[in-house]
Amino acid sequence: MAVSKRKRAEYIRYAQYGLLIVIALVVAFLADWGQIRAAFFNVDIAKSMFPSVITVALKNTIIYTALGFAFGLALGLVLALMKLSSVAPYRWIATVYIEFFRGVPALLVFIGIYYGVPIAFQMQFPPLTTVMLALGGVGAAYMAETIRAGIQAVPKGQVEAARSLGMSQGRAMITIVIPQAFRIILPPLTNELILLTKDSSLIYILGLFREQYELTKFGRETLSRSPSLTPILIAGLCYLIITLPLGYLSRYLERRGTGGARKKVSA
Amino acid sequence: MSETFVEITGLKKSFGPLEVLKNIDLKVDRGDVVCIIGPSGSGKSTLLRCVNLLEEPNAGKIVVNDVELTDPDVDIDSARTKIGMVFQGFNLFSHLNVLANLTVAQRKVLKRSEEESRRVALHNLERVGLSEKAHAMPAQLSGGQQQRVAIARALSMDPDVMLFDEPTSALDPELVGDVLGVMRQLADEGMTMLVVTHEMQFAREVADKVIFMDGGYIVEEGPAAEVIGNPQEERTREFLARVLDPTHHGPSDPV
Repeated sequence: MAVSKRKRAEYIRYAQYGLLIVIALVVAFLADWGQIRAAFFNVDIAKSMFPSVITVALKNTIIYTALGFAFGLALGLVLALMKLSSVAPYRWIATVYIEFFRGVPALLVFIGIYYGVPIAFQMQFPPLTTVMLALGGVGAAYMAETIRAGIQAVPKGQVEAARSLGMSQGRAMITIVIPQAFRIILPPLTNELILLTKDSSLIYILGLFREQYELTKFGRETLSRSPSLTPILIAGLCYLIITLPLGYLSRYLERRGTGGARKKVSA
Repeated sequence: MSETFVEITGLKKSFGPLEVLKNIDLKVDRGDVVCIIGPSGSGKSTLLRCVNLLEEPNAGKIVVNDVELTDPDVDIDSARTKIGMVFQGFNLFSHLNVLANLTVAQRKVLKRSEEESRRVALHNLERVGLSEKAHAMPAQLSGGQQQRVAIARALSMDPDVMLFDEPTSALDPELVGDVLGVMRQLADEGMTMLVVTHEMQFAREVADKVIFMDGGYIVEEGPAAEVIGNPQEERTREFLARVLDPTHHGPSDPV
């Protein structure tokens, strides 16, 4: 009867562990391990995917993501500045763009750009350009909001100091505010990069050639030729090669802090 | 000899419905040190921030060194290079080291060469006694050191006048002396200075003129010894009594 609070908390914890073990055992017992092994761990099929899964698919995923991220970052910065502009039409344009591309599935955007742009402008972009526009166009909408938040997080006193030294509004923005803003948003920006890495799987819709395959397309293509889900597992692991270090980097940057915080200035 | 360097006439400033400055007239002669004192909310910081147009006045005229800053066609950025400002919160550029803090505006605004801007920066760091901190980041410095760097940063633009907005209010008491020492040295060198401060000792010893502000007006102005030593206005007396001898006064009445 006389169980202390701490003891009771301990018992409840043990009960939770016990429940987890039971669930794990039930799942393990119910699953057909032979089938799982055959479906996901076919060594021959896995071997057949190398080295192209790395030299072609992983490489292309990285290239597509990097292109999309670079374009998205540039466009995102422009959108963020438009959103903070004192010129109302700039703010409207930025808001409409951001709300549209954040609210619409990336896949639909890709289809729209791939089929729509050639019809609208009677011109065909090279595949890499289409990838860059599509991935970057979607990424920019997310990054714009992150960058805007970063710019607004820079203490007002920094701009005042810059202006008091004779810097123009634009000069202060470029030299003082934006560098500090990027320090502040480095962790969330790294997360955008992770999301973009995974979004790059959607560009299978663009109908690529074999040497243009990225990881997901490569995995699905291999899948169609083999009686096993192994290619999907391999492709998934390859994504982790990219995303796990980025996730680690993001957490590291967050822990390290930004050094951008400054005492608030009162009037 | 006495040549008017800063001239403010009929200055008014409101924030929304709140009228912070109500018709301010002020003259500062070249080489003079003017200390502005007064209770918080009296408008003294706003007045100072109007002098380099960090706050846009609603009415009135501000002339600094024969340039009318309130003229809509004035090149305010160029005018500001000649008006140094030091803030209560230091506002050093946190992503740049001390040397870069002192050179960035010289390079980008005055278009000085890297070599020249560096030379000017190091000279001014020496003036504030922080030569050895040239490569430190602002976050590695104490508040007093940061404020001295901020002074050196403003001096690196070779200003004709320096504005100090409560430069020691954010400092630990034992660090205040270093900053005031640098300011006194500047005053001795003949710099024209406008200082918003609560340091009565400094005002008494260094200021050529003391201005007491309350409720958006200049209530009293004159030589330091008179305004601080023998105030004529009741409000000045009340304020000084509270500042100079805080333990013998009850809480102030809410305004």
